[in-house]
Formats: sequence, C-alpha cells, structure tokens
Amino acid sequence: MLPNDGSRTNHALRASMRRFDDEEELDLVVVGCGAGGAVLTQRLARKGWKVAALEAGPFWEPDRDWVSDEAGSHPLYWTEPRVIGGGDPVPLGSNNSGRGVGGSTVHFAGYTPRLHPSDFQTYTADGVGADWPITYQELRPYYEALEAELPVAGQHWPWGDPHGYPHSPHPVSGLGMIFQRGCQRLGIDVRVGPVAITNGRFGNRPHCIYRGFCLQGCKVNAKASTLITHVPDALAHGAEIRSGSMVRSIEIDDRGRASGVVYFRDGVERRQRARAVAVAGYAIETPRLLLNSACRQFPDGVGNDHDLVGRYVMVQGAAQTAGRFPEEVRMYKAPPPEVSTEAFYETDPRADYRRGYSVQCIGPLPITWAEHVVAEGHWGHVLREYLCDYVHWATLGVLCEFLPLPGNRVTLDEERDRHGIPVARFDYTQCDNDRALMRAGSQKMAEILDAAGAQDTVTIARYAHLVGGARMGAGPETGVVDRNLRSFAVPNLYVTDGSVLPTQGAANPALTIMALAARCADHLAGGAASA
Amino acid sequence: MKPRFPGYDVLQQAGSWDLVTAGVVLARLAPPPPLRFFTVDEERVARPLLDRLLAQDGPPEDESRIPVLEHIDARLAEGETDGWHHDDLPEDGEAWRRSLAALDEDARAVEGQHFWELKRRAQNRLLENVRTAKTWHELPASRVWNLWMRYACTGFYSHPSAWNEMGFGGPAYPRGYKALGLDRREPWEVREVDAEDPEPWARRVEAARQRQDSDHAAR
Ligand SMILES: Cc1cc2nc3c(=O)[nH]c(=O)nc-3n(C[C@H](O)[C@H](O)[C@H](O)COP(=O)(O)OP(=O)(O)OC[C@H]3O[C@@H](n4cnc5c(N)ncnc54)[C@H](O)[C@@H]3O)c2cc1C
Ligand code: SF4
Repeated sequence: MLPNDGSRTNHALRASMRRFDDEEELDLVVVGCGAGGAVLTQRLARKGWKVAALEAGPFWEPDRDWVSDEAGSHPLYWTEPRVIGGGDPVPLGSNNSGRGVGGSTVHFAGYTPRLHPSDFQTYTADGVGADWPITYQELRPYYEALEAELPVAGQHWPWGDPHGYPHSPHPVSGLGMIFQRGCQRLGIDVRVGPVAITNGRFGNRPHCIYRGFCLQGCKVNAKASTLITHVPDALAHGAEIRSGSMVRSIEIDDRGRASGVVYFRDGVERRQRARAVAVAGYAIETPRLLLNSACRQFPDGVGNDHDLVGRYVMVQGAAQTAGRFPEEVRMYKAPPPEVSTEAFYETDPRADYRRGYSVQCIGPLPITWAEHVVAEGHWGHVLREYLCDYVHWATLGVLCEFLPLPGNRVTLDEERDRHGIPVARFDYTQCDNDRALMRAGSQKMAEILDAAGAQDTVTIARYAHLVGGARMGAGPETGVVDRNLRSFAVPNLYVTDGSVLPTQGAANPALTIMALAARCADHLAGGAASA
Repeated sequence: MKPRFPGYDVLQQAGSWDLVTAGVVLARLAPPPPLRFFTVDEERVARPLLDRLLAQDGPPEDESRIPVLEHIDARLAEGETDGWHHDDLPEDGEAWRRSLAALDEDARAVEGQHFWELKRRAQNRLLENVRTAKTWHELPASRVWNLWMRYACTGFYSHPSAWNEMGFGGPAYPRGYKALGLDRREPWEVREVDAEDPEPWARRVEAARQRQDSDHAAR
C-alpha cells in the first residue's frame, strides 16, 4: 500500500484490485485477513491461485482512519458482542482481537520472537501440554523468511535456537534502560528486540518516530502489520481482499467437501464458491464459525466429530508490574515493545511448576495506565495522585505459558449478533501450574524493578494472546487439523490462524502464526487441496 | 492537589498533530450534547458517583471539569462497548442502569436519603462498600466496580486536561519524540515539579489517602 512516489497510500493498487464474482469457483477462499489469513492469501496469489480473503472489518487507510489516541482507536478492535465466563474470565475486545484488513496485527505491539524447539514437545519433555505434530526444524525456514519480510529488528538472540535478525536493534528508551539496569544488577541476560518495526527506512516504509502508539495502529507505517506487508503484495499478484464481508458459515456439499462460504455484505446474504476454504478468523471467531457451520453431515459443527472444536483455547498469563522511579521515565516514548528476556522460558527443574515465562517492557498510555492503578484498588484522590505521577513509572510484563485445558473453550451463546448469528462464549479457568507460573513471573518482575531502584510497585493480573480452539494433532482424536493445517474431517478445509496452536510457549504468537500459514501455503501449492 | 507540571498545556502542540487526530481530540473540548441514554433519575446518581470515583470535587460550573458522564452516556447510547460482558452481568447499558438504581437504594436504606443528597463522606462509604463486597444486589460487586471504573477512566483520561495533569506528551504524529532516555524531555515538555520540590512519593500518596478519607465537603 506504500508507493514510492512520496504519497502515502497506493490507491491505484486498491482501485485496480481484481474482483471475483460470487459464482466463480475460486481456488481458495480465506476467511479473515489478519496474521494467518493475509500471509496465506499472499503466498497463494504469488503461485497464481485465484484467491480471495473475506474480511469482516474495513479496509483501513491509515492516514484517514487512524489516530494517535487511545480512546479514538476503539474501531480497531473486535467489539461485537461476546460473553465471558469460567473461574478466571478473560476480557476480550481491545486487549485481544482486531477487526479489519490486517486483523490484530494492526494493533499488535510488534514483538516477534520465535518459539523455542522445546515448545514442540512439552508433553514428552515435561509431561504437560501437548506435543506438536511438527518440529521446530520444520518451521525454521518459515521463521527466517518472515523475519526478513516484516522485517524484524533486534540484537542477536541467545535463547531457544540462537539466531540473528536482519535489522539492528532500535535505540533504547528510559523504560528499556530501567529494565536493562535491573537485569544487569541481578545478572539476568536481556536483549533489545525482536520487533517488527523498521529501523531506518525499509523500501518505502519510513523510520519509526518513537511515538509509542503501536497498539493504536502505526500511522507512520513503521511497524509491520499484514495490511502494509503481505496484503499489498497479495493485491499486486492478483488476490482480492473483500472487506466488510462477515462469513456466517462454511458450506459442505453432499460429498462432505467444502464448497464455499455464506457471508453477509452490506446486509445482504451471499455465497462465494471455492475449491477449498481456509479459516483464519482468530482463536475466538474460528471456533465460532466452525460451530455455526453445523449441517447435516456435521450436526455438532464442522470438524467437531470428536468434540474438539473450541477446546484447548489458551491465553498467556500476562501480569504487568510497574515500578516508581525518582527519575522521569516517560514510558509513552518509543515503541512499547523494546527490550525482553527469555532467561526464564524453559522449565526450571527446581521450580514447583513446569514450563516458563518471558519478561518484556510495556509502555501503557494514560487510559491503560489508569487500569493498572485501579487494579490495586485505588480510586478517587489516590487514583488521581498515582496518575499524576505517570512520568515516573516503568512497566514490565510477563508472558507465562499457560497450559492447554479441554474445559477452556469457546461455545455458542444464546445471544445473537446483529446478523442473527449466535455469538461466542469463552470460558476460562486457570490450573495450578498456571497460577504458580503467574506468581513466579510477577515476583521476578518485582525483583527486577526493585534491583533497578523502584520506590513503589503496582501489579495487575492480565491475559494476552488467545490461541488454540482448533488445535493441530497427530490424528482426529487429538486434533481438529493435521500437521499441514488440513481438517481431518473435511479434506479441502484448512485452519490457518492462531487457533491451531497445540501449546503456546512464552513467546508472542504472531510470527509463529504467520510461519505456520506460510508453511501451509507450500503444502497447498504442492497440490494438496485437490486430493 | 498541587499541579505537578505547572504551565504545561498539551493543547499548545495541537498545531503539530495530524488533522484526523486533532479532530478527534479537540472534539472532546466542545460543549457536550444533551444526554441520550441516562434518565434524569440515573443522571442524578451517576454524576456524584463519577465525581467521587475520579475525585472531581470542584463545583459543577467549574470550567476545568472533565465531562465524564456525557462521555459515558454517548458510548452507551451508541452501543460502543468493549466487545464483551461477563456471563453473570447483563450487557453494559443494562448493567449501568441496574447498578445506579441499586446504589440509590443503598443510600435510602442506609442513610435515608437519595445518593445525590448525601455528603461526600457518606457517598464514599457506600462506594467503598461496593468495591469490597462480594455480591451486591445480586450482582458480582467486583465486576460492577470494574465496569464503573473502566468507563470512568476512559472518559477522564482521554481528555487533554487530564494529560496536562500527568505531563503526558499526547499525540505525537507526525512529529514524534526525539528525547528518549531517563530524565529527558522534548523542548516543549515541562519538567515535573518534584525535581525542584522534593516531596517524597510516599508522603504524597499518604496525603491523597487522607483527602480521600476526610469529609471535606464544605458545601
Ligand atoms: C493489544 C495487543 C497487542 C499484541 N501484541 C502482540 C505482539 O507484540 N506480538 C505478537 O506476536 N502478537 C501480539 N498480539 C497478538 C497478535 O496480534 C495475534 O495473536 C495475531 O494477530 C492473531 O492472528 P490470527 O491470524 O489468529 O487472527 P487476527 O490477526 O486477529 O485476524 C483475524 C481476522 O479475521 C477476521 N474475521 C474473524 N471472523 C470473521 C468472519 N466470520 N468473517 C470474516 N472475517 C472474520 C477478523 O476481523 C480479523 O481481521 C497482540 C494482540 C493485541 C490485542
Ligand atoms: S513507536 Fe514507532 S512503530 Fe510504534 S506507532 Fe510509533 S512510529 Fe509506529
């Protein structure tokens, strides 16, 4: 979307976008154009496939549609109704999922770490979670390709499978300095990066201006989102991105194969025919769609013969602890993703929990910062006093690997959205291992901040990064999709988003989701869908 | 509360903001439209409730008050929710209506007066009770509290006057920030008064706690 002539949006590319007819049988229709959906669409467009991505939300134009403002960024999120329950309900909306071309990558922070090799066999190694049907080695070339495409900036990475990054690290802000200082005093290894933010110009994308609004959509176009990375390339290679198209169900023909999707556009119900269907609607909407596609052959939802659709949805335990420092930190400057450590990522044999966590820096803006203070029980005068002190605070966040549990699931609620489609209900309850990990992670953040010289700390329990719900497995009893993301039940139906993750590690998921989608594209291009 | 950033006015930078952002932010300074969602009875409870939650203690005609009730009313009228609700709480609009009615019921039961007729200290007491209760009028109290605070803080901390109070640099596109690092400021940012006036943080919090506890409602 970024032309070379100095203007900021390539209107010609969108105006000349190929437009398929509903009646035309596409090679592939993709549901959702976020992290997974956009990469899959782009890859197959490059192979000459007739492919369209149907996206419920708008086709953003950053200059016109986005603002450098927290409250004003509300339209970026999926705010259609959803119900939450369980012992530890997980708030959705702005903290979890996006709506529009680019999906959640539009407002993601931009941390792009890889999983560790150990993540692919947590059951064998640690007796918890699940083993993946693929190995780290199989995914590695796709990680490397995407790190170059986004591209990713950061220091050499010593953890997991050690590797470097195509771009050098960004300069460090006051917040990052505090984090580094605390870790240095404790002897904890930290690194700058890895972030999908250009450091220096990249092609026609400008340098980051350190304005700190990454979670509100980067108007500068410095932070990668599939809207400005893979979508323009997909259009240039003949894909259609059909925005404002909310898919209601997948159609299954008499032979038990997917024949297309039913969707709403401008209030009108339509059908798009296709030889294969890929669902990439995020860990809540993907299970919802599969369940809402119940039909004669699949009365309990497509691919749900073994009652696996919607189960094993995971969130990372993402508690955040902030410390108060005598210096002015002004944590709103620089991208909120900057410095991180994976020193506590792997299972510690001495600990009373399995698996681990990573620690990253987080730069909440005023409204989010107020949530931190409110979480401590403050209100009225005390709330205002804490908020007035904003410039002195530095916030760290952990990502704890919470385990996949069958009871943590998406089901359909009685409530319906404005299209009359049953909305998703998400129930979530932590297990003991989750709680122990979150305690350990929170304690570590406090230690780091104390070592850096904090005079006071506040902690908020939060969750981040939903994945799972249509997990990959070795067979139909353990997974909804196979190692190539193909549904066990319907041979030409694929799931290509975060829902397929069997476990989540302690790394932010977007890069892994993109890598899996890219790998699936290679599999499809090898002739699989016609099987 | 003493200003921490004397003379700081983020609006002086508005000329350097992109037009779309400036439009959205400056609209918050315009006189709010008439209420559409809350009934008059609900408004009478909601105003003092929000004033206590956010310690907006100035007189109603005070120019510097941030119109939080109007912000919430507009959101609820337009159905602009956060995109989820708890299974044991109705959707946001209905949850607001029910909780406001319940709060006034408390006021009448405990104090024999409407919530809006009570002194601040009594209002604060009733609110602290909601914050610490488990179940409140058959609603999960902590979730009601969270709903109130979430909407209240979004309204308050999206307003430039609140940014001035906290020294926040505000929208920074297309100019960006150049001064990264500890104790560094852009030329137009104001140094926190603490630097010259070293009142310890712990003492400031304690003073705020006392303000919260004391009934300084002289009205
Ligand atoms: C505030 C925040 C910060 C984050 N920071 C990071 C980070 O730093 N690093 C990281 O790796 N991850 C981060 N994430 C998470 C990351 O953005 C997501 O994990 C990732 O984008 C998920 O990819 P996805 O393909 O599963 O779904 P998405 O990217 O969410 O895409 C799904 C798309 O499908 C569309 N859709 C859904 N249902 C339908 C339907 N029925 N019909 C048509 N379209 C539909 C949606 O509108 C959406 O655009 C962050 C998330 C948030 C909310
Ligand atoms: S900090 Fe950089 S990457 Fe983040 S929104 Fe600003 S310009 Fe974009």
